[in-house]
Amino acid sequence: MNKKLILISFAILIAFTACNNKTTNETAGNSAENSSVMYACPMHPEVMGNKGDKCSKCGMELSVLVDMNATTTQATEETKATIAVKEIVSNYLKLKNALTNDNTDDAATAGKALEAAFKSFDKTALTAEQKKTYEDIESDAREHAEHIGANAGKIAHQREHFDLLSKDMYDLVKALGAGQILYKDFCPMYNDNKGAIWLSETKEIKNPYFGKSMQTCGSVKEELK
Amino acid sequence: MRIIKMILLVLLIIVVGIQFIRPVRNESEQVLLTDITMTFNMPDSVLDALKISCYNCHSNNTIYPFYANFQPVAWMLNNHVKNGKDKLNFSDFGAYSRRRQLSKLKSMVSQIQDDKMPLPSYTLFHKDAALTEKNKLSIINWANKTTDSLSSNQ
Repeated sequence: MNKKLILISFAILIAFTACNNKTTNETAGNSAENSSVMYACPMHPEVMGNKGDKCSKCGMELSVLVDMNATTTQATEETKATIAVKEIVSNYLKLKNALTNDNTDDAATAGKALEAAFKSFDKTALTAEQKKTYEDIESDAREHAEHIGANAGKIAHQREHFDLLSKDMYDLVKALGAGQILYKDFCPMYNDNKGAIWLSETKEIKNPYFGKSMQTCGSVKEELK
Repeated sequence: MRIIKMILLVLLIIVVGIQFIRPVRNESEQVLLTDITMTFNMPDSVLDALKISCYNCHSNNTIYPFYANFQPVAWMLNNHVKNGKDKLNFSDFGAYSRRRQLSKLKSMVSQIQDDKMPLPSYTLFHKDAALTEKNKLSIINWANKTTDSLSSNQ
């Protein structure tokens, strides 16, 4: 009696594990197929399906081969840390652009947003060393962002803080990456001809320290990738 | 007439009442290891100027005037000191990151150059806190020198 019971339970166990294996294999095969060969509509690249399917938006045949592997590896290469930095970088660039346009109110708004971005920055994705670097930079940079936010109407004061903030931002991007190409620009005249740097998303020089009065003063010193 | 008397009486009670609500004073004779004097060398002329003109709001030891015994004056002073220490605290300067120290030194120079600090509203009541041109120059020179040595050490 006991022997029979054990035998039956063994049989059931084997049956189940076999089933499990099968299903996992199947799903793995499916996803591999899906991810490596997909076709997109020539007019609506977001619509994807198998070859020969029709686009749900315009009815055209899905004929553009999409290399799913390429896009997925790219996404994983972009580390979590970089994604978190993006928010900070984008607000910094907004601030920079407001200053190039001599717009003190927009600069203040961007300063506040930048301060908030520093506050809500997700440090969990950083390595211990990166975390230390970040905290060191943040202790200083956040204060500059706060000052810029609180000093709408005093653009000269905002620019003083922007100078120090830009140095912090340069170090931050060097340490954690920016998720986009940035240029380190240098204006030789600011600070009584001691000079000051800033980061820009474009190769073209637009000076945030002098704004419209001397828009093209400066040069690209480094390309940050 | 009786109403006026009542109002005056209530006011008196409030004024007397608030005298008992006293904020904790920002006083500490102890010089911390993080004090700026422990981390940086500075000539006596600079230290004296900082102590007289800045330390009341930017350190852990405020020297209070006699009217700080009355409310709501003490509350206002307390807010000022808290705000000032938030921005810059010489008693804690050594604990700042190198980066923040450099920023603060630069801000000190520009604030003094632009006559924004010490606050004009402060020097109005504390004539001795106003910096003379000589004081300003010695602080600025010291700050610039310290900045240079800090940045070259990095």
